[in-house]
Amino acid sequence: MTDFEIVMKHNHKLSSKVLAHLSQVVGERLSTKKVDLLTYSRDYWPITLHWMLKGKLPSLPDAVVWPENKEEVEKVVKIAHESSIPIYAYGGGSGVLGGTIPEKGGIIVDLKRMRSIKLHEEDLLVEVEAGTNGYYLEKYLNKKGYTLGHFPQSLYPSTVGGWIATKATGQFSTKYGGIEDMVLGLDVVLPWGESIELKPHPRSATGPDLKRIFIGSEGTLGIVTKAWLKIWPYPEKRVNLSFASENLNDALDSVRRILRRGAKPAVVRIYDTIETKRHFYKFEKAYGKVATVMILEGDTRTVEAEEKIVEEEFKGTPIGEGPVDHWLKTRFNVKEASEFAPLGVVFDTIEVSINWSKATQLYNEVSKAIRSVKGTLFASAHASHFYPQGVCFYFTFAGVPKGDPTKYYNKVWDAAMRATLSVGGAISHHHGIGRQRREWLQEELGNAFEVLRRIKDALDEKRIMNPGNMGV
Amino acid sequence: MPGKWDWLRDEIKGIELLRSAPLIFRFISGKLKGPDDLIKCALCPNMCRHACPISIVDGKETTSPTGKARTAFFIREGKLELNLENLEPLYMCLSCNACSEWCPFEFSVADLIRPVKETALQKGVVFKEFRELFENLERYGYIYGEPQLQEEIKSGNVLYLRGCTLRENYPELEKKVLKVLNALGENAFTINEKCCGIPAYNLGNIELFKKLAREQAEIINSSGVEVVVTSCPSCAYAYKVIYPEYGVKIKPKVLHITEFVKEKLNKLKNLKLKDTITFHDPCKLAIGLNEPEILEEILSKIEGLEIKAPRRKGKETFCCGYGGSAISRLKPKLADEIARERLKELQEEAELIVTACPTCKLAFNSNGGKVIDIVELLYEVLEE
Repeated sequence: MTDFEIVMKHNHKLSSKVLAHLSQVVGERLSTKKVDLLTYSRDYWPITLHWMLKGKLPSLPDAVVWPENKEEVEKVVKIAHESSIPIYAYGGGSGVLGGTIPEKGGIIVDLKRMRSIKLHEEDLLVEVEAGTNGYYLEKYLNKKGYTLGHFPQSLYPSTVGGWIATKATGQFSTKYGGIEDMVLGLDVVLPWGESIELKPHPRSATGPDLKRIFIGSEGTLGIVTKAWLKIWPYPEKRVNLSFASENLNDALDSVRRILRRGAKPAVVRIYDTIETKRHFYKFEKAYGKVATVMILEGDTRTVEAEEKIVEEEFKGTPIGEGPVDHWLKTRFNVKEASEFAPLGVVFDTIEVSINWSKATQLYNEVSKAIRSVKGTLFASAHASHFYPQGVCFYFTFAGVPKGDPTKYYNKVWDAAMRATLSVGGAISHHHGIGRQRREWLQEELGNAFEVLRRIKDALDEKRIMNPGNMGV
Repeated sequence: MPGKWDWLRDEIKGIELLRSAPLIFRFISGKLKGPDDLIKCALCPNMCRHACPISIVDGKETTSPTGKARTAFFIREGKLELNLENLEPLYMCLSCNACSEWCPFEFSVADLIRPVKETALQKGVVFKEFRELFENLERYGYIYGEPQLQEEIKSGNVLYLRGCTLRENYPELEKKVLKVLNALGENAFTINEKCCGIPAYNLGNIELFKKLAREQAEIINSSGVEVVVTSCPSCAYAYKVIYPEYGVKIKPKVLHITEFVKEKLNKLKNLKLKDTITFHDPCKLAIGLNEPEILEEILSKIEGLEIKAPRRKGKETFCCGYGGSAISRLKPKLADEIARERLKELQEEAELIVTACPTCKLAFNSNGGKVIDIVELLYEVLEE
């Protein structure tokens, strides 16, 4: 691989004996070809786009396997466990924090050939294998009259397993919740190659909820091979609303009051003035103000009641369905990275959450912290996910640093994380930890980090599952 | 109304933007073109993955749309050697262009990576499976080798072009087409046609494609006819979309059989058939020829026919697996796996599948599907 510079170097190599064992399990669905290893060297961690353009890759695996069922995953993990080989689960590769980078070499287990779907209509459940593509699943459910209600911006490239591993959430989360609210049961292959089934009971009081250990564990504790997810009847009514408010506080406080009254809009997004100008420049009434887009959906009578609550509580001028339609049309457009990274622009998004009482303070402090880093062109945010107790802010920054882009990038991240922690926010709302945020997880969790570390030690004593990820 | 980039100019006041980020300033002022399309695609997180049949079925990052773009980019930049092993993922493309329907830049991955295939061909880096095909096309103008002599219908007012797949696999379809055209008030004739050249185009052999295009254009144009009808959406796509890009002009109006039938369908009265069917929109018809609803529309005119639409239809159709000329030759198992993925979905709706492409028919037939061409269905209706 001499043509590329490897950023996270390792000396790991697979023996021919291990490769032969792997081949016995998955046959031709094993590769050590250079072209495959290069492809699996990265995910969608934005700084790595700059690396790629300069001929640098994060790190290379030694082999990639594409299992087709749980039994094959078990056998592959067993081989890795016996020989202490690092192993990394791979879904859609759309993670933005380097969570799947094969930092220590070893085996990538791509689960995308596992995509069976089984619908349990009476139980309002779907049983789905981990490699199933997000849009593929949603489209399947829609045809049968249901929705999962999970629409991350990565819906098109990502997989069910990736959602669970990263504790993802979607654009419609204020009604349907995050993936942790949808997962009722799990099949997980543990680090020694044995699998467990955590059954999809509607609720149980049978000790701590073991599912929660694996949701958000980012491949460090096991490989999720199947999930039972809650589904909903496809909404019979949808109401699209948008508002222009004089300031961010008015809009945030409106949504806080709406949620306190028990209304649950599926989508709420409040854009600061910069992002309102950026996304809604065609809407004169919104320009220079704070735009909010909102979607109410579900049973007709529930939606009508929610609409009344919104009308009564929202402090802002209603500006019609136009901005919502515009958002619906453009919500999966991911193009800025492609256009601007080659121009030397370093950018990323940082999502953090905070209780209502400190929401404005967090917005101000994090924006200020990002802007204080030399080279920053702008920092902006929208509030993207809402709870009766608080909100998620989704910051976007871009800069053109004079020196090393990675140094600038890390400085911004450090500034944002420090500001979030000082105000009392959570350092990640839904992207997860990966390799970019790992330095900060310990501070976020305090002495609870030790619990995570001991769980890791207990389950994965050989430290083969996604080693280095999350800093555990 | 404010402009697209005014927000940025407001944030980074005038001169500061020019000073700290001159490239951005030039880009948003329209003075800089920005990166080329292959780079843009290579930097995307695969926002069209869900639409790509290869990506869904094969499940490999390397053959995902972005994986292919990235590999092509590395080869183009000299970071990856131009050899068969590295080229193989680039050929794992059905040329269905489903990706372009979801891309904010409307890129077709097939188009973006074709120049690398062209370079490979010029340098003699060619799979043996493709060499055989190219030889057949060079020698016989027919993808399957030496064609069997077929009876020509010498005169008529519409030229009917069968296409290689139909000629080789479904010669009996021709008679049914002619009968349906006849019922629509047209007398169709046939000629000693050649391959449209699209397989060569798909595989990056542009010189051969151009040669075949010129020869085929000469044959068609010299027939003196005003209307050409074909059963193959890929042929129609070649004549209508690709030939003009290479300066080859087909003088008569070219129509896929569904387009022709739709125009004249009112001539057929009392179209009745009691049956339950589902349908498969061929990618080259729905996406390539921009006719996403034509098949369903024709079917809807048949009284008594229960049409059960699949979840992936119109521009969201899912290629049958036999398109693009490469996969069925290099990885026939994968082509069949894609066909079965599609069949499974269709068969959940109905046992009988109607399509409008001989290649799709072949893919589903080869994998146990009960499938008929729209013309066969119309023939049956007319017979009744």
